[in-house]
Amino acid sequence: MAEKEILENIDSEYKYGFTSDIDTETIGKGLNEEVIRIISSKKGEPEWMLERRLAAFRHWQTMKLPTWAHLDIPEIDFQDIIYYAAPKARKTLGSMDEVDPELKRTFDKLGIPLEEQMALAGVAVDAVMDSVSVKTTFRETLAEKGIIFCSISEAIKEYPELIKKYLGKVVPHTDNFYAALNAAVFSDGSFCYIPKGVRCPMELSTYFRINAEGTGQFERTLLVADEGSYVSYLEGCTAPQRDENQLHAAVVEIIVEKDAEVKYSTVQNWYPGDKDGKGGIYNFVTKRGLCRENARLSWTQVETGSAITWKYPSCVLLGDNSVGEFYSVAMTNNYQQADTGTKMIHIGRNTRSRIVSKGISAGKSQNAYRGLVRVAKGADNARNYSQCDSLLIGDKCGAHTFPEIDSHNPTAVLEHEATTSKISEEQLFYCNQRGLSTEDAVGLIVNGYAREVLAKLPMEFAVEAQKLLAISLEGSVG
Amino acid sequence: MLSVKNLCASVDDKQILRGINLEVRAGEVHAIMGPNGSGKSTLASVLAGNEKFTVTDGSVEFMGRNLLELSIEDRARMGLFLGFQYPVEIPGVTMANFMKMAVNEQRKFRGEEPLSAGAFLRMMREKSAVVELDSKLTNRAVNEGFSGGEKKKNEIFQMAMLEPKLAVLDETDSGLDIDALRIVATGVTKLHTNENATIVITHYQRLLDYIVPDYVHVLYKGRIIYTGDKTLALKLEKEGYDWLINDYKE
Amino acid sequence: MGLLEYLREQGVDPQGEGGVLQLANGEEVEVVINPTDNLFSVEEQQRRKILIIHTSDDTSKLLFDVKPYASLQVVDVYLGGCFADVTLRQQSGSVCDVLSVVMHGAIADYTIDLNGKHSSNALRGVFLSRGEEHCKMAVRVNHYYSDCVSNSLVKGVAGEKSIGEFNGMVYVAQDAQRTDACQNSRNIELGGEAKIITKPQLEIYADDVKCSHGATVGQLDSEAVLYMRQRGLSQAQARKLQIEGFVKDVVYSSSEFGEMLAEELNAILEQIQ
Repeated sequence: MAEKEILENIDSEYKYGFTSDIDTETIGKGLNEEVIRIISSKKGEPEWMLERRLAAFRHWQTMKLPTWAHLDIPEIDFQDIIYYAAPKARKTLGSMDEVDPELKRTFDKLGIPLEEQMALAGVAVDAVMDSVSVKTTFRETLAEKGIIFCSISEAIKEYPELIKKYLGKVVPHTDNFYAALNAAVFSDGSFCYIPKGVRCPMELSTYFRINAEGTGQFERTLLVADEGSYVSYLEGCTAPQRDENQLHAAVVEIIVEKDAEVKYSTVQNWYPGDKDGKGGIYNFVTKRGLCRENARLSWTQVETGSAITWKYPSCVLLGDNSVGEFYSVAMTNNYQQADTGTKMIHIGRNTRSRIVSKGISAGKSQNAYRGLVRVAKGADNARNYSQCDSLLIGDKCGAHTFPEIDSHNPTAVLEHEATTSKISEEQLFYCNQRGLSTEDAVGLIVNGYAREVLAKLPMEFAVEAQKLLAISLEGSVG
Repeated sequence: MLSVKNLCASVDDKQILRGINLEVRAGEVHAIMGPNGSGKSTLASVLAGNEKFTVTDGSVEFMGRNLLELSIEDRARMGLFLGFQYPVEIPGVTMANFMKMAVNEQRKFRGEEPLSAGAFLRMMREKSAVVELDSKLTNRAVNEGFSGGEKKKNEIFQMAMLEPKLAVLDETDSGLDIDALRIVATGVTKLHTNENATIVITHYQRLLDYIVPDYVHVLYKGRIIYTGDKTLALKLEKEGYDWLINDYKE
Repeated sequence: MGLLEYLREQGVDPQGEGGVLQLANGEEVEVVINPTDNLFSVEEQQRRKILIIHTSDDTSKLLFDVKPYASLQVVDVYLGGCFADVTLRQQSGSVCDVLSVVMHGAIADYTIDLNGKHSSNALRGVFLSRGEEHCKMAVRVNHYYSDCVSNSLVKGVAGEKSIGEFNGMVYVAQDAQRTDACQNSRNIELGGEAKIITKPQLEIYADDVKCSHGATVGQLDSEAVLYMRQRGLSQAQARKLQIEGFVKDVVYSSSEFGEMLAEELNAILEQIQ
């Protein structure tokens, strides 16, 4: 798809900024054990799950907000947030007819038709609005292969053994402040299990949507790829345009068993706030995957949204010969702040990792890459290659690179390279001389700069990501 | 087609062009020669609209419009093409995408529908043959990792794609070996019709063996000091500029 | 010949506080031994060459005030486990050249403030750790003004159970347009239990800048070692030769003291098992 066609569709406003008038059931603001009991009982959870939530909550109360990131975070009052909001729905969502028509319209507007016959060819969707999963498509088709793809609430009830075995395994509730909070109050999210030796026949996808006012969204995704299996998973996020800041603290855990492969792609477009930095989502996310022997996990992310982003999709390369990859485009404009990157923890022998990070800062935004490559003592012959580039557009923004290499094994070979550049006058003049407007030229050059990462995305997502980059650049070229 | 009257331009308060007068009609080929630093490349940049230069006096009319008040891209869309002396690299942006955008911008400007993907690809194939440009290059990023010769061929390829009314080729022959020079020059000649015009800026007579000019201008210290026909180029090659510029030395 | 022996030969008492070395080419180098809290000023358009040697385990706080268009060359050598805090304040048009050799578990913390336009700084460093030492070199370059140039290259070698650490930061303020900054950290881990930690960081608030950094952690080329051993060199000799090659460009950037510094590094390399 040519950038041209994409740029023609530029919409200067945040396109997903609408709100849907859906009957929402919420509980009061604030957080205490009682609230957690309510969430758990509303979801009809078994006792063991409630115990886990309470343990996480008690631990969270002893924790402090992390302050090490290169972010200026206004004080967040955790008692001023609604921790549960759900579109009021009929009892079970057996067929499409039972989904609230307004809800269906919302997802149609987002370009995510819930009707299976209309769905993007070969993509199964789990749609999460506020605190609950509203509809998962293609479940039956997937079930034939033994693949489980459902909301995490259902999984807790229907597959307690799998949940007990894997939930909190990669990101325990003691991991960090937001992971603990999520473990205590998470409301919904997706669960996916690919059985041994199965190659998932279609892309799996979760769309997250925050709709209700004053709420936080705390979803939890658990993805298990059993031995020798393969899955490509997509995640998209949008939110309405509001003057207030809303908190989003998600946890994604991935277990990649022996010889399995997982590709996890994210296009994050939470509402970034307006030109003056008012409103927008605070996005504090913990994403981590565990790779066993010969396993391969690849994170690809295109981040254009959120007022504040704090996110480090990581790979724990536990098994010998496992491979971790991280491809990222993070773009900030206006007053957005991003502190994002990855951790590659090499534990097994002959483990390899690759990091390609492309930061784009415009307006008055601050964009930081933060990375850690650690080679443990026993990780013989570990290899890492990291490349972190920054592109600055305008002279009021900042681009920062905070990599750390921590090697405890002398057979490791680790390389890190970084460059910082801007779009040159010569490039703009050249494009102008060929008849392109300056805005088109900037869009084209930025997409070219990010091409290496965009090429890693599945086709439909790549197109959407290119559009997003162009839209997010609006107004950044003086 | 192009009418330049008393054009003066400066950069960083330094006067480079000091009153250029030039008339170019459809079907003509003009060569502009002159020693280093005489203002040849500046003239090309000013015509294209490079904002580094300030026009301090004079006027330029192109296709009946005041060229100086148009943006760089509108000049290009109207059919003014500048072949760059040093084509810039644009990492990650493929030639195909870049050209598709450029061609369709021009079509939009003329009120035409954008080309379909198929028609565009056909056009790419045809036009790349004009300059014997390896068609693989069109899948690479704009000028990135191109050799000197490939970059210049690529300029002529783009010229073929955009079919300009007026092409200004700034030292397109510099840094080319004899084969590449032949290919580039033949390409330019093939593209020449009675409807369009070409201004060739060059240092050497050798390019003019292939592209036969109707007029040869000598630019010196920001002025055209002498105009002749194609024989002038040969004389300059043999005798240098001294016989011409002696009168103008300070 | 080691550095201290050389000084003695040149008539500077290594047990004393220092003195002045007369070089063959007629230049003078000031020698300062175990400074504790010193201020060195280089006046406008003046030149100074200073050799600093730390042999004790004490702390040391050094400030170099480099006035406009002055030039300063510093060779800073750690032959003891000293903790040093070194600040260079460079005013417009000044040029500084620093060579730092860190051994014996020393910690050298450099802050370079480019406080005026068109100032430039080149820093080359080597750290070598062995046993259970923890050697650390930190380099923070602050580009506060436009048109400044900085270039840092630090090479680290960690052997046995030691930790070698590099902590780098290039900061470019909003007004520091046309900054040209480059930072490189190259490291070799020798033993099975050696550790290298490197953090080459950039913090940039200006858009018209050319900044790059790189970091590598690797090992000796085992094929080259094998090749040399086949020609009759011992493992230790082969290793020594390779490491010499690795740090050579840094150490020999000092034409006066390169040989003596290489000798000091060799003395430690030979002790590494």
